[in-house]
Amino acid sequence: MENQDYIICECQLEALEAFVSSIEPVFEIKIVRAPSICMTMVQAEDAVEYQPFYLGEALTTECELIVNGQKGYGICLGDEPLRCYCMAFIDAITQLKDIDLSKTYQFLNEQARLIEEAKKIEYNHIQRTKVDFKLMEQD
Amino acid sequence: MGYVAVKGGTDAIHNSHELVEFYRLRDAVTPIDIKQIRSQLRLAVDKVMGEGGLYAPDYAAIALKQAEGEVFEAAFIIRAFRTTLQRRFYSETINTRELFIKRKISASFREIPGGQILGPTRDYTQRILDTGKVEETAEDIKKFLEVFESKIDREKLQSVKTYTKVIDLLREEGLLKPIDKNEDRRLVDITREAIKFPAPRSARLQMMARAETGGLMAMGYSSMRGFGSVHPTVGELRYGHLPVRIKDPSGRIRYAGKIEITEAEMVSSVSAAKKNAVPKFTIGYGLCFGQNDTKVICMGILDSTMRSPDTGSPANDQEFVLYHTEGIEAMGFTNHLKLPHYVDFQSALSNIRGAIERNEQLKEGQKAEEVTFMQP
Repeated sequence: MENQDYIICECQLEALEAFVSSIEPVFEIKIVRAPSICMTMVQAEDAVEYQPFYLGEALTTECELIVNGQKGYGICLGDEPLRCYCMAFIDAITQLKDIDLSKTYQFLNEQARLIEEAKKIEYNHIQRTKVDFKLMEQD
Repeated sequence: MGYVAVKGGTDAIHNSHELVEFYRLRDAVTPIDIKQIRSQLRLAVDKVMGEGGLYAPDYAAIALKQAEGEVFEAAFIIRAFRTTLQRRFYSETINTRELFIKRKISASFREIPGGQILGPTRDYTQRILDTGKVEETAEDIKKFLEVFESKIDREKLQSVKTYTKVIDLLREEGLLKPIDKNEDRRLVDITREAIKFPAPRSARLQMMARAETGGLMAMGYSSMRGFGSVHPTVGELRYGHLPVRIKDPSGRIRYAGKIEITEAEMVSSVSAAKKNAVPKFTIGYGLCFGQNDTKVICMGILDSTMRSPDTGSPANDQEFVLYHTEGIEAMGFTNHLKLPHYVDFQSALSNIRGAIERNEQLKEGQKAEEVTFMQP
């Protein structure tokens, strides 16, 4: 699913954890790399001449699982062991063939809707600070 | 004179650390929650992440609590913490044109794509001390949020948009100075490679991104005041959050989360070097973690100054700017002066005493000669 990782990274952790807990018992899960923190160097470029440079590092959590024989990876910013585990789990199951993913997509679609709504609300609050300064000689 | 180490003092040092904790806690007030620091000391957290060189809001908040709000110390703690972690990934290059805009202003143009969005700023306040904050309660916060939320109509929400940058308009009009093909464009990582001067622009931008805000401001201000020649205008200043994508071990590029950044493009005009050539605009670039207008504005100024080397102006001297705006190094060096220098100082003391003694002996010798000379 497009935006799957975005939804998992941005949704409410409690909802994600509850959903994964509800479906994981039917899968055989092997933890290859338990969630652990590391760093990611953030690459940037100046927006004018596109010269690359390193902005700084970001704390990252990574996790690797094998679910029913399928590898799944989770990588998310911050110290987020639960979210990262869930990301790896959903990454693995969405690559499995012959399983019913309707519940998973239903969950992700619902979370996507909530995230977009929250984003839109924030955007509209920000738009209230739009200003149109008049020059002194103007009315 | 080399350094001579000291030993001992373990108990006193331990007790001193305990005393720090005592002074932090002795009033036995409610402990500050990390979430409170993240939320209500947002800009301090941003500074710690920026100067610590690690985007980790929760950990920056912990460092601030541990350091009793001392931003230098907190950034130092974060720098030390990052050395304990393995760097496992490099992100894909972030694209600031994808920014979710929280603030977007230009001092160069009144009308910019999408308009001027002030966003969260104290720019137009009178800095009057709000003593009402003393009485602030959880109920007040709840009431404020309710009123704030009611100010938009949820049935008529505008869709989220991204906007063209001001510099893109300048570029389209051919007003920007062309790229200098002779400039060193190597991508250097100053955390892995000791900086050498002249440093490539990538190293300069990286060092400034994690430099100390006050240091950058002092240098940028010096140039604007006349100890240099760059006095630019804010072409555009943006603050918001943008996505970070990372390639996972299977080679797929994955969304990993978002980071908050502030970005500035500072516009300066340059006169043409050759006769009959047209003048152009140059852009100084600033980018840092979190919300920090002052830092990116000064970074943009110094990006421009350092592209015109001149050891006569501090702000145009790469080594001067980069070494002296590196807050953690500067703080470390300054504070090392408090550590025991007994042998150093004893040596200086003995030199000065010796010189005084020799001088006195010389004076006495001269006096004795004068007395001998005056005797008939």
